[in-house]
Order: sequence, then C-alpha cells, then structure tokens
Amino acid sequence: MQQTISFVLDGKVQTIDFNGQYTPTTTVLNYLRSSPVHKGVKEGCAEGDCGACTVVIGELDGENKIKYKAIDSCLVFLPMIHGSQLITVENLSQKKGDEETLHPVQEAMVSGNGSQCGYCTPGIVMSLFSLYKNENDPAKESIEDALTGNLCRCTGYKPIIEAAAKACVNKGFDKFTQCEKQIVELLLQIKNQSTPLEIINEKQKYYQPKTIKEALELRKKIPDSVLVNGATDVALRVTKKHERLEEIIDLSAVEELKKCIKTESFIEFGAGINLEDVKKLVEKELPALFETLVVFGSRQIRALATLGGNVGSGSPIGDTLPVLMAYNAEIKLQSSAGERKVNMNNYILGYRKTERRPDEIITSVIIPKPSSKTIVKFYKISKRKDLDISTVSAGFSLTLNNKTVESISLAYGGMAAVTKLALKAEQYLTGKFWDRNNVEKAMELVAAEFTPISDARSSAEFRSIAAKNLLLKFWTETKQ
Amino acid sequence: MTSSSIPHDSAIKHVSGESVYIDDIQVNSQLLIGRVVYSPHAHAKIKSIDLSAAKKLKGVHAVLCSKDIPGINQMGPVVHDEVCLAADEVICVGQAILLIAAESNEIAIAAEKLIQIEYGQLEPILNLRTAIEKNSLLGPVRTMQRGDADAALKIAVHVLKGELETGAQEHWYLETQSCLCIPGEHQEITAYSSTQHPSETQAIISEVLGIAKNEVVVETRRMGGAFGGKETQGNWVAAWSALLCNATKRPVKIHLFRDDDQIMTGKRHPYLIRYEAGFDDEGKISAVKFEQNADGGCATDLSLAILERAMLHADSSYYIPNMHVTGKAYKTNLPSNTAFRGFGGPQGMAAMEAVVDRIARFLKKDAADIRKINFYGIDENNITHYGQTVELNRLHTIYDQLMISSEYRERRKAVNKFNSSNEFYKKGIALTPVKFGISFTTSFLNQAGALVNIYKDGTILVNHGGTEMGQGLNTKIMQIAAAELGINVSKIKVNAANTSKVPNTSATAASAGTDLNGMAVKNAVDILKTRIAEVMAAEFSKQRPEKPSLPENIIFENDYISDKLQPYHKIAFADAMPIVNFNQVSLSAAGFYRTPNIGWDKLTGWGKPFNYYSFGMCVSEVLVDTLTGFHKNLRTDILHDVGDSINPGIDIGQVEGGYIQGVGWCTTEEIKWNDKGQLLNHSPDTYKIPSVQDIPSDFRTTLLQNAPNPNAVRKSKAVAEPPLMLAFATWLAIKDAVSAVADHQHEPQFKLPATNEVILLSIEDLKKRMKG
Repeated sequence: MQQTISFVLDGKVQTIDFNGQYTPTTTVLNYLRSSPVHKGVKEGCAEGDCGACTVVIGELDGENKIKYKAIDSCLVFLPMIHGSQLITVENLSQKKGDEETLHPVQEAMVSGNGSQCGYCTPGIVMSLFSLYKNENDPAKESIEDALTGNLCRCTGYKPIIEAAAKACVNKGFDKFTQCEKQIVELLLQIKNQSTPLEIINEKQKYYQPKTIKEALELRKKIPDSVLVNGATDVALRVTKKHERLEEIIDLSAVEELKKCIKTESFIEFGAGINLEDVKKLVEKELPALFETLVVFGSRQIRALATLGGNVGSGSPIGDTLPVLMAYNAEIKLQSSAGERKVNMNNYILGYRKTERRPDEIITSVIIPKPSSKTIVKFYKISKRKDLDISTVSAGFSLTLNNKTVESISLAYGGMAAVTKLALKAEQYLTGKFWDRNNVEKAMELVAAEFTPISDARSSAEFRSIAAKNLLLKFWTETKQ
Repeated sequence: MTSSSIPHDSAIKHVSGESVYIDDIQVNSQLLIGRVVYSPHAHAKIKSIDLSAAKKLKGVHAVLCSKDIPGINQMGPVVHDEVCLAADEVICVGQAILLIAAESNEIAIAAEKLIQIEYGQLEPILNLRTAIEKNSLLGPVRTMQRGDADAALKIAVHVLKGELETGAQEHWYLETQSCLCIPGEHQEITAYSSTQHPSETQAIISEVLGIAKNEVVVETRRMGGAFGGKETQGNWVAAWSALLCNATKRPVKIHLFRDDDQIMTGKRHPYLIRYEAGFDDEGKISAVKFEQNADGGCATDLSLAILERAMLHADSSYYIPNMHVTGKAYKTNLPSNTAFRGFGGPQGMAAMEAVVDRIARFLKKDAADIRKINFYGIDENNITHYGQTVELNRLHTIYDQLMISSEYRERRKAVNKFNSSNEFYKKGIALTPVKFGISFTTSFLNQAGALVNIYKDGTILVNHGGTEMGQGLNTKIMQIAAAELGINVSKIKVNAANTSKVPNTSATAASAGTDLNGMAVKNAVDILKTRIAEVMAAEFSKQRPEKPSLPENIIFENDYISDKLQPYHKIAFADAMPIVNFNQVSLSAAGFYRTPNIGWDKLTGWGKPFNYYSFGMCVSEVLVDTLTGFHKNLRTDILHDVGDSINPGIDIGQVEGGYIQGVGWCTTEEIKWNDKGQLLNHSPDTYKIPSVQDIPSDFRTTLLQNAPNPNAVRKSKAVAEPPLMLAFATWLAIKDAVSAVADHQHEPQFKLPATNEVILLSIEDLKKRMKG
C-alpha cells in the first residue's frame, strides 16, 4: 500500500506525502495556488461552472502515448492525478535565454484580442491547449464545445473562437510533442512503482484500489464510505459546503471499470468510463444518449464524470437517468457476495435513494440497442442550453407498428423527487394511433400526473407546460 | 497616428498566467484571511451576539463587531445610510455583521460556526410592488418634462398604456470582490484593492479607521472584471480588511467566495416602468408619460444617480414633443442595488423600445419604420426632454447603412415566410438604436488627473486616475501618450492606479475613463513638451549659434525631437532626456482635465448634462422553439459609433462584449429571491450568464467610419456602456417570434429577461387568447 502520490509537474516528478499542508481532499486548484509559481490558475466558482481553474492532465494511453484532457481543477482531489502529468498555463511558453516564445494558442489569443480583464484567460488558454493537442483544424462546433466550460464576462467569445481556429492547425505539434518521450518515461516510472493508494491520517482515510476485488473488499469493510470516480458531484461537498469527507473510496484507478463491450444486441459500459469517452462511443449507435451528453456539463466535466457516477447519485435531475430509462438499460451491481442486474426503471427508489446496497458498487451500465422499429429521444430544457442543469428533461422511447403505438416509455426528470415515468400517458397511448389528437390528450395526462416544484430554475407552471410540450415535440419528430 | 489595434497591454501576461490580481499577490507568512459573517435574515433585530468561543479558537486573531470600529461605522458612498457592520438591526440577507481574521480559511469557517447570534424577526419588504404599495421611498420623487404630455395624450389619435418589468442582473465579474491590506508604520495602511474608485476606497478606509486620508494608500493594478460592481461596493471588502488589518497589525486579505459575493452585493436595479403613449396613424409619437420605479435595495448607494440616468434615457433615440418622466427609487430589504454597465440607461431605454415595438404591432407596421420616423432630427426636432440638443446626430446615417448591410427588408420577408409555413418554430427580427449620453450626470465628477514621469533613459511611466478592469484603458492611455510624445508605444508603461500618485480622482465609470484620463495625460504631456522644447531649442541654438532654434518650432515625431523649420536640429528623444535633466528642468508633470461646457439644473431637469452622445444600432434575428421556449440567436449585425477609434481591436471587443452582456440580461440572467429574501440564484449553477454557445451564429460588428468626435481625446468616443443596449434588438426579435404565434394579432405578455419560461408562458397565453 502506498501513502504518497506522485505526478509530473513543471517537467519533474512531484511527490506529496499528506503529512503537511495537504489532505487527500485538497483540490488540485488549491494545491497549485498554494505555490508561488502557479498562481495563473484561478478560482471563479469552486463548482466546475466557470472553467477559470482549467488545467490539462496528460495520461498514458494503452500505447504509452500521452492523452491530454482539460479538467476543472477545482473538482479534482489530489490523489486523482496520481500517475498523471499536470500542465498549467505557466508551462506553455518556452523560454530560450531572455526570449519567451508563446505557445500558438497563447499567441493567437494575444494577437486576436482574446483577453480583456484576463481572469478567465488562463483557463481558456488551457481549454484551447487541450483542443490544440487533440484536434487539427477543428470545426466551429468543436471549438465551441471545447469552450463551453469556460465563462468569459468581457469579450463575447468571438475573438476566442477565432483564436482557436487560427491556432489549432499544426496537428498538435509543439514543445510537448518534442519532450513527450521524457515525460512518458517519468510517468512509467511512477506507474511501475505504484501500488494501491491508502492515505490515512488522523482525520481522513482515502483509498484508491486498482481492482474491483480490492474495491469490494474495502466497501465491505467500510460500507459508509463515500464512493467517487470523477467526483464532479461529491467534490462540491468539500469546496462549497466545507464538509470533511472522512472515508473515501476512489474508483478512478480501477481499469476494469473502464471497459466497453459492444455486441449485436447491447453495449455494456464500464461504470468508470468518463462521459466524454462514452459520448464518442455512442454517436451512431445510441443517438439519444449522444444528444444527452452533448448538453451534459462541459468537456472539462465530462472528462471526469462517469456514467456510474451519474446513475449512482440518483439525483432527480441527473441527465442520463431519463434516457437510460427510455433505453431500458440495466445497471450491474457487484458485491463480494456476487453480482446482479437491476433494470433502470426499478433502480431509483426515492430522492437520491437507489437500489444499490452499501456493500455494492455499480460496475457497468448495459444498454440494449433499440430495434429498428423503436425510436429513442432525449430532451432537456434548461435556462441556458449548455452547461446547465435541467429544469425538465425527458427520455422517450416509442415502438410503432403501422402508425399504432406498440409500446411507449415516457421518463421525466425534474418533475418529481425522482426520475419518473408518465405511466398514465403511456397507458393511454399504448395501442392507439400515433396522431396529434391522441398525443394532445396524453399531454393533459402528463400534466395531471406530476406536481412539480417552483425553485431557482423555474416555476411549477413552466415545468408542467414544458413537460406536456416535450411529448408534442417528440410526436412532431417521430410522426409518420 | 494613434489608431492602431495593438493588443491589450496585459495580453501576454493574461495568456501566460502572469497577471497579478489581488488573490495572487505574494505576501509574507504573517498573512491572515478575513471572513465576513453576514445576516441570514432580510430584516431583524440583533438581540445578542456571543463571540467568546470563536475568539478562543486557535488560529483566530480577531473577531470584530460594530463596536470595534475605531472611526465611524459608515460606508455609504454618497448618502451616509450604510453601516459598515450591522449594530442592532439587519436590513438584508448578506449584510455584514462581524469580521473574522484567522490563519487560514478553514479556521475562519470553523470560527464562524462557533458564533451565536440571536435575532428578533421584523417585517421585511421583499419586492418592488410591495415597496410601491407602502410608498417606501429612498429619496425625493424626480420629474423631467417638456411640453404638456397630459394635454397631448387627450388629443392623440391612439393611446396605449402598459408596464414593463426589468430584472436584476448580477455583475458576475470573474474576480470576486477582493482586497489585501498591509499595515505600515504607526497608522499607515496600504490597500491593494479591486476597486473602480481608489480615491473613494481610500476615503472609506480612512473614515472607518478614524485616520487621515494621507495615512491611506490604495492601489489598483487591475480588476478581473468590474462592470460597475466595484464602483462603490468594492469599498466594502476594503473597509472590512482594513479594520481587521488595523486590529491585528498583520496583512489581511478578503477574497469573497463566489456564492457570498453573489449573496452580499447589489445588482442592476430591477425596474417597474408604467407608460402611456400617444401617437397617430403613421406611428408618429406625440406624447409619452413614464413612471419609473426602481428597486434600490436596503440603502441609497448610487440609486438616485442611476434613476436620474434612467430618466435621461427614457427617450431612447426618439424625439417626443410632449414628455413627462417621473422617477422613484424605493427601499426594500434586499442588498443595495448598485452601478452596472449602463447605469439606469438600459432600464429607461428598454421601456421606450417596448413602447415603440407595441405601437408597431398595434398599427401592423414594421417597427423599424416606426423607429425611423421618430428618431431625433438633424436640424429640427433635435432637443431632448431635458433641453440638450442632440448634436452630431448619427442615427440616420447608421440606420441607412445598417438597413442595407444587414439586409433587413429581405430578411423580414423571409422571416414572415418561414413563420407562415412552420407551426412549432418561429423566427423574429428586430432593429433597435442606441443613443447614450457621455459624462457623469453629477457634473463635478467630470475631472481627472495624471502624473507623467520621463526617466533619463527616455522611458515613460504614466500614472493616471483611471483603473483597468479589462476595458483596455491603459492600452489606450499608452497610445495617447505615445502619439502625443511622438515616440514608440513600447517606451511607455502605465502604472497601477495609486492614490499617492494621483489623488482625489473620480470613479472609472460612466464610460468616461479614456475621455477624462486620456485628456489629463495629454495635459501632462503638453506641459512636459513645453519644458523640453525650451531646453532643446536653447541646446540646438547653443550647438549652432548661427542657426538659432525657437521652442515653438520644436516637434516630437518618430522617436526624435527636432526643429520643424531646421531639420538638422534633431536628436533622439532618449538622448535628449539627460540634457533636460542636466539643465535642471523637471521631467515629471501632473496633468489635469475637466470636461468643459456641461452643466444642468438637477432640480428643473433642464440643461446640458452630457458632453456628447454615442450612437449605435443592432439588427438581430432569432429562432424560437415554441414548445420549449429555447431561442437561437441566428444572426446579429451591429454598427456602432466610437468616433475615430484609438484602438479598433479593443473597441470592437467592448462592443461585442457589451452586447453579449446585454443579451444575458435580456435572456437567461434571471434573479429570484424567496419569500424570506434569500437569493435563490447564488452561484453559476443557477445563475446563467451567456456561454460561448449563446452568441449569434453569424455575428457581424462594424465601427462607423468617418465619424470623428470633436469633443474627446484624439477625436475618439467612449465605448463601454452604450453597446450593452444593442441587445434590445435580440430581446425584441424574440418578442417578434413569440408574437408570430398569434400572427401578430395580439400584444404578447413580455418581460425582461425573456427567459424560456417567460417565452413559453407568453405563448401559452397567446394560444388562450386566440381561442377565446
């Protein structure tokens, strides 16, 4: 068992022993800002909504190449970057003697008036750097997607989009390409010496098992521990509510949870696959899940968040829940006693309460591929289209047989304390013609079935109207 | 040539993470973290406070209450109605009661949990309508009028009555309110403050500490955004950290946590504006009466000046022969609302634009045509309702150019066609104008100072009274100084604003930063040039006595100083400076400027409050999904007047950024309080400013060419605030799309912001009215 973590920063291996100023739930942001040479990274909100804290993580892929991804450092606990390269805005330019050469993304931001007050700029530069490393000549949509997680209050974004388009044309070639070999060696050195983390001090216990078996043994021993993977939800308990999490099991190092199995009839996603990777895996085969993930958080959030985490939280506004219900997905739960599968429609028991027992972990999510007669769609209404939590969301599935509804599933998020099916509307529509008249009658049943709340996001009245309208919208997009 | 799109003077530092904001300043290990304990109640008596446990906690160095304030317990910027720390009563959620200084943030949080405060609830006023009912006025009722609106309304062909609600807006500067105070010897204190108004911050610190102003230095290198939110309310954290610094004699920093910043600080004033407008069959407006009601929050702050600007902009860009504007600011138990880009102008103009929009729908005419016939005239119909002549009126030029470049007519037809063949998606298009008065309406504030130092190596350090908040003020100042001195801009550095270098300054506000400080810098440079010319003319004459040189012929060009009549008298600027110094002539000069020829009578509401007007116009087209209330900004064309631009790159950035900030206010930025007066949208989780996805798919911004402004430095014009109001085109384009649901036969219910909730509820209402 290992009590210290190591990662590469500023071209060197840094080791942290957690006996001093850092705890296992110190965020990467606070770690960096405690150093005099990494003040470039900023805290704008401490909840992953503004991106001022964006840094880039370099991770070894299967072929020992470095994969770069932008993340919100305010949501990442230090042990989660164990074995990675941490890149900050201070690392991008190159000094040769007195001359400082800016990175192409920095250069384009300067010449294109991409900064005004400058406070969001380091985060934006890091999002652009990640884009630079991953995409050559990216489409406007991709640039916008890469920047969705970075709020800027001054520029109106246009010069930043233009800077991205101008800079990202060198096929990712830069000084990081030139010194990749040395960094890979350092990362391998850390990897080869590393055993499962077990960081224990008088106030906290943080475990980072490497296998499901180890995780389950820990879970059995400490069933009340907090389970995290990307920690995009749990981190807020630390950064915003100032809670001290006492026992944590971090599943992010369990490689078995990152496997994806595709068969003729289903796709099984390991619970630890991050949502950005899930998004890439499903574009053609599960378009409704893809659409869900397009408007799920931001790239920085999706790089950390996992399917297992979103399902595991059981939040009534968890964006993947309605669509997984519509897909009739199954959740695979495992404990040291064995494994079982629970249908998504039976998985949520109450407000943030799920079928998972304390000794179990979610190991995968199995999504059956819909038949050619079945259409699945996802809808999300939020105040802002992107990087917002849904006011109302819906996952709909419809199987038609000659214009008649053979089966229909209408799962709604944001309308009750749990993600919930509009059962009466489903019953009414089943066996009926899929026409506007019937849909409009079913809309009234939808409205009658829920008693939504008024809150910071919207009034109950709006939620009711929106929920009804989404059914009509579904009809307009599926009518034959 | 001044005009050049050189990058922002901090751009390289921004992109490499080297720009230093307050929270980045390196301080020694003595640094303490300040924390503010604030009221959870909107209105309550403080019955008792128990600090004993908190004070005992290890690592806590001070816990201060109102009684511990050595000076006066007051931080109201204009009216002294704002206590620094609540003593026996709290009047809004978020009002500061206690201050903690501790060795870490964690310890400060732990200390706060040990504090016991007992409250006795009092009745709060939590919204504007209740405040109006209870007549809870903050200041005197103001009126401005010209002609006889009542009489004109009686004989008008058509009269429309209605009201418009505009919402609050959170500044959402990326850098939250911050200040670091460092104790000096005896009573001295230095505050590194994120403030738009260092002189006022200095004054408030000196008052709460009960020390003279010459003991206090306030320095502002840059702000991570401000937008008006740090014009007065940046003073708060400065006063609080100064109190803790004074009590502990150690450096103290307060950098508000995002949620605390949103909960504690004021917003853009919500308004309820009632109107009555008379017009003829053509849509020519003969009379308008406005009653403007502003939610000032729990203290005066700048509410009365903001109300004044709202009243001065009630005409938007239109000549209204008979106009009557009443303005009332109300006191509620919400955080004191404050300056925000536009400073009341947006609210005043929104109501007028809503009126014109409604007239067009009523008459079944294109709103762009109604606007055109009501614009201020060039030679006639060009006097505002407060008596100022609209000089150098660019409205017609801009309108004519933009109607063509935006292809407004063709697109209007295409929009109508699209709407007739689509049930669930509707498009809308609108054109709206901006005319914005430039100057502080409190006329004496229109002054600025500068201190320009030339060093013997020929480099120059410019100090001025303005503050850099991202708007590019320092870059423009560099360009102005360089142009006036005829030297390369690389030789010039602009210093952090510092009250010991340039004293008694006005806030960097009212879009006037460059106008005022640029002129003050020019004044200092002119003084220096006169001195240098005298020395160098004498020096040239000494070198070639047969060819004497005269000071009035000395010119400064291309890094050289020369005699324009005798070009062989020539020396590099840098080489000349040691000579000037050797001749015992000062290379440092203070400059000063005050805006000439303005002044008006606030009591009668008549005169010339503004130095000049800025103009702009916007055409925006949107697509609304009538089932979800979502809209997409399809294309936006802006033509904006900045005079002869000093820096087109920076000016376009201001125009685009201002417009998008306005779009946020008009669409997704909704603020709600619950029935206890607690802010519901206190983080970016629920408060949604525009993201990169919310800008127009096709976004075209152009600066008006060949439009020099004789009234400001180097023929330029202010930028900053006016472009915010370009967003009304997008707001009214959304309304146009909503209105299309009922084929423009009914006036839609509408508000600002037009959230998807407002849009959807408006559509539901239209559907009901169509059936009924």
